[in-house]
Amino acid sequence: MSSNRRGVGLSAFSNAAISSDQYARHGEQLRTSHADALENQRSVFQAALHNFSLTHAKDIRSNPTFRAEFARMCRAIGVDPLAGSNVKGAGGSSGSVWAKMLGSSVNDFYFELGVRVVEVCRQTRAENGGMIAFSEVKKRIESGGGLVGGGMDVTEDDIQRALDSLEPLGGMFKTTTLGSTKFIRSVPKELNPDQSTVLGVIQILGYVTVSMLQDNLSWEKARSIAVIDDLVADSLVWIDEQAEEVEFWSPASMHVAG
Amino acid sequence: MSIAAAEASVASPHTPSIQSTSPLTTNTTQSGFAFPTYTSFPPFYTLQPNVTTRAHQLDLWSSLVTTYCAYHRLFRISLSSPPADLFANRSINRSLKPSSIRDVLDHMASPAGGQKIEWLSTTAKGEQKDSCYVLWKSANEWAEEIHAWVDETGQKGTVLTVYELRESDAVSGKDWRDMDEGLLRRVLNVLVKRGKAQIFGQEESAGVKFF
Repeated sequence: MSSNRRGVGLSAFSNAAISSDQYARHGEQLRTSHADALENQRSVFQAALHNFSLTHAKDIRSNPTFRAEFARMCRAIGVDPLAGSNVKGAGGSSGSVWAKMLGSSVNDFYFELGVRVVEVCRQTRAENGGMIAFSEVKKRIESGGGLVGGGMDVTEDDIQRALDSLEPLGGMFKTTTLGSTKFIRSVPKELNPDQSTVLGVIQILGYVTVSMLQDNLSWEKARSIAVIDDLVADSLVWIDEQAEEVEFWSPASMHVAG
Repeated sequence: MSIAAAEASVASPHTPSIQSTSPLTTNTTQSGFAFPTYTSFPPFYTLQPNVTTRAHQLDLWSSLVTTYCAYHRLFRISLSSPPADLFANRSINRSLKPSSIRDVLDHMASPAGGQKIEWLSTTAKGEQKDSCYVLWKSANEWAEEIHAWVDETGQKGTVLTVYELRESDAVSGKDWRDMDEGLLRRVLNVLVKRGKAQIFGQEESAGVKFF
């Protein structure tokens, strides 16, 4: 209460009530005008974004740099290009605001990419035990991999987003970072810390031997062998018996020229 | 293979290998067959103990052997003198053990492996199989192709010798020219069974009539 003079007598009570009422009404008025302004801004912005995505839908789909910028813009203003896009025609609400605004092309792009990522993971599972590097997925998707649709120009960022869009399906595709390489794990098995360490080492050198593990990690021989045996059993590494000491290689380096 | 031997062979790639006595080992190892990148992956030359991985590895080998033989137009390979650069990569000093080569070929011969090769029956009993036909096109496909060619060139009803089918100028440029004689007979027999051809005469002077 900002009144300087303290009210005296009974009338002070009603005065206080009246002024607080006035404050409340004024506050309400301010709030609505504020909300109106925001609502106005939002619709203007929506319209702008809608126009933008319509004019540039083609670029968004075909140009990876442009798409990355677009996605960054969306992130900056707090909208998720994928959110709620799978509720098309659900009751009266008819899909997400986003899907209505952008048309479905942006969503479709990521769903399509998601399907390809899953395909690549499945195709290579026998070879790599369900662990595949982002770069490898990217390469395979770009080359088209014998698909009729041909290749798609994508970034690793896109692949990550596509994987996120698969999340509602149960999250069978997890990303893991080993060393400095990001991997997609498409087989639902957790790696124990020892296995992750060994795979990390393999990422750096391309291969590993039991004695390397003993020397560098000061592990017991039995421990090193046990970890590697597990990795072999999960088809995550390949054995090379023709080196001086048996070497264990990551199938990730299999399709790298050199 | 010792490292010294490997280095020597790298240093003088054009020196004929000791296997060049075999008619199957061609000098076209430098001919530009593009080996897939996985042939530079050292573990590729060790058969993997994990069953899933191994199945995939065998498929990769199968596709390598068929594309290699198709490129070099090899119709038959023998275990005692396999193509020098097919089962070995000298630059990484790795090679597939003979017993593993046999495993690969056994896989290729099996229905699961797509029957991409056919072992030749051995002469003596108990002897290990040594040679196989590589069917980079199946016998049926070859049969179709030859029959179509005979049809196109209007030679139905005439008698062609096996020699003509394999080596004459008329078949130059055809994929089956110089085909291993045994395999050609095998293919022709497919046509015989279908009633589209008939074989006369014996070994040397055999003739074929197409219908």
